[in-house]
Amino acid sequence: MVDLSVDLGNLHLQYPTLMGSGCYGSGEEFAPFVDLSRIGAVVLKSVTRQPRLGNPTPRLVHTPAGMLNAIGLQNPGIDWYLEHDVAKFADRPCVVIGSVAGFSVDDYAYTVEKLAARDEIKAIELNISCPNVASEGETFACDPNLTGKVVRAARAATGKTLIVKLSPNVTDIGAIAREAQAAGADALAVINTVRGMSIDVDLMRPRLGNVTGGLSGPAIRPIAVLAVYEVARAVTIPIVGQGGIETTRDAIEFFLAGASAVSIGTGNFTDPRIPMRIVDELAEFLRRRNVRSLKQIVGKANVGFANPYQYEGDEG
Amino acid sequence: MPTISSAPTVHTVRITDRRELAPGVVVLGFDAPEMVRVTRPGAFVMVIPPGGESAATALGIYEADGRRASVLFFVVGKRTQELAEMRVGDELGVVGPLGNGFSLDGLSDVAIVAGGVGIASVLLPAQALVASGARVRLYYGARSAELLVDRERFAREGCEVLVSTDDGSMGHSGYITDLLAQTDRRPDAILACGPTPMLRAVARVAAEMNVPAQLSLEETFACGVGGCWGCVVPLVGNSAQAPSFPPADRNGSDVVYARVCKEGPVFWAHELRW
Repeated sequence: MVDLSVDLGNLHLQYPTLMGSGCYGSGEEFAPFVDLSRIGAVVLKSVTRQPRLGNPTPRLVHTPAGMLNAIGLQNPGIDWYLEHDVAKFADRPCVVIGSVAGFSVDDYAYTVEKLAARDEIKAIELNISCPNVASEGETFACDPNLTGKVVRAARAATGKTLIVKLSPNVTDIGAIAREAQAAGADALAVINTVRGMSIDVDLMRPRLGNVTGGLSGPAIRPIAVLAVYEVARAVTIPIVGQGGIETTRDAIEFFLAGASAVSIGTGNFTDPRIPMRIVDELAEFLRRRNVRSLKQIVGKANVGFANPYQYEGDEG
Repeated sequence: MPTISSAPTVHTVRITDRRELAPGVVVLGFDAPEMVRVTRPGAFVMVIPPGGESAATALGIYEADGRRASVLFFVVGKRTQELAEMRVGDELGVVGPLGNGFSLDGLSDVAIVAGGVGIASVLLPAQALVASGARVRLYYGARSAELLVDRERFAREGCEVLVSTDDGSMGHSGYITDLLAQTDRRPDAILACGPTPMLRAVARVAAEMNVPAQLSLEETFACGVGGCWGCVVPLVGNSAQAPSFPPADRNGSDVVYARVCKEGPVFWAHELRW
């Protein structure tokens, strides 16, 4: 039996597969045709302190090997969310991770404290890297000082596992990652979407209502693999690698670059069977190579790997 | 609008037949008895791309009878090109049926308006209405006569068929909504599927005629199952279809965003604020 489990802070996951925030609703939407007991965790759509109507339409554009989105953090606000939605997450057959976005350090602290207090929520992902809310949403993930401030505030608000989602739209993602770790992050989600734009040449105007959007899908996979590779050299906390994963071999690239777990977002739009397929095939891939635990290959292709907790050398 | 009673499933189906109705217009039939049993008129499927690397494609369920369902689509890009190249015997992943579908109860005289590929979503409601004894008149518009695919099929199914073409090669030369506006027969319902400008025109004509119209909207989807909130449309906050969500103030009106894939794709024209 191959051990695929992973520990993110004090959160233990049986499988190393998370469903990306904003791509999977609350899990309920996919439950009719996906066995949620065979995925690691669902990361919920981000919630903010105040309700948000989200961006004007159109919000999606399909692009080569990927897509642009600009949803704009549409959500009912933390109060409504706690009252109407969170209780429903109790009966999910997988771990449920909350996601929090905000526009000030105070916003984050307030929302994290309220959401993390609920038993249904096993961990918190801090979305400091949404590229689609004016310029504000991503500001935190683009500045090491602000990253430190917001992570410290969130850390003070909960003892549950805190996963900080980083932006690829920076010059030195390693520097941001180090700040997040120093401020108390338990794990890092690498990466959020890459900023992008598409223009309709017939109508001569941007295709997205928000003008700019976030690019996801296989088109960004090499960008994401490199980001994981760089972050893995900078920090010792576990990394959740994400960006265009559609197959088991894609996921393994991320493990080898230094990710302890992976997240599937846009891949679920291609084929909702992908997460289950990855769990099955990953076990088979490792078994054939006499590798007993996924942890043994984490960072194996990363020559300057910093993480002393996961890497177990060359055995197997 | 009907509520959804059956859960969608991922069906692995085998293609049983393939027809090219016109250049770039393809019908793929497949064996999917479980899906046929629970399909509603106006429902759609997400077709999983055989080669990956792009989101699944939302297609209306064209036919559903016995063991066989089919999809009808125009080749407009890479994803539909890939599907058009599928052959009889190939396997295909299909998620469905999805969406709410048309509300057909109690209708006796119905105008169905279809533009271009919108024809793909109106055969099942037309068949159901004819079977229930309703009079059905199909207003069918396309760019040219060649693209008025399967028009005889609708006549055979018992619909009265009126057509228009953009280039005047068959029927009325101009928009199909011109014919709808000129009719002397006031139906008790209008159902429509087609490009957004046509649907907006249908909504205007329906309001002038004071006839309730059900519009099957076209929107870019990502997940197709309600998970990503990418395909939303503004809807009056007190609509029965409004999702559980606090209405927010938008231009002074009480509007919520509803998901075309989940709360729709069929909406009441008078409840849209688009």
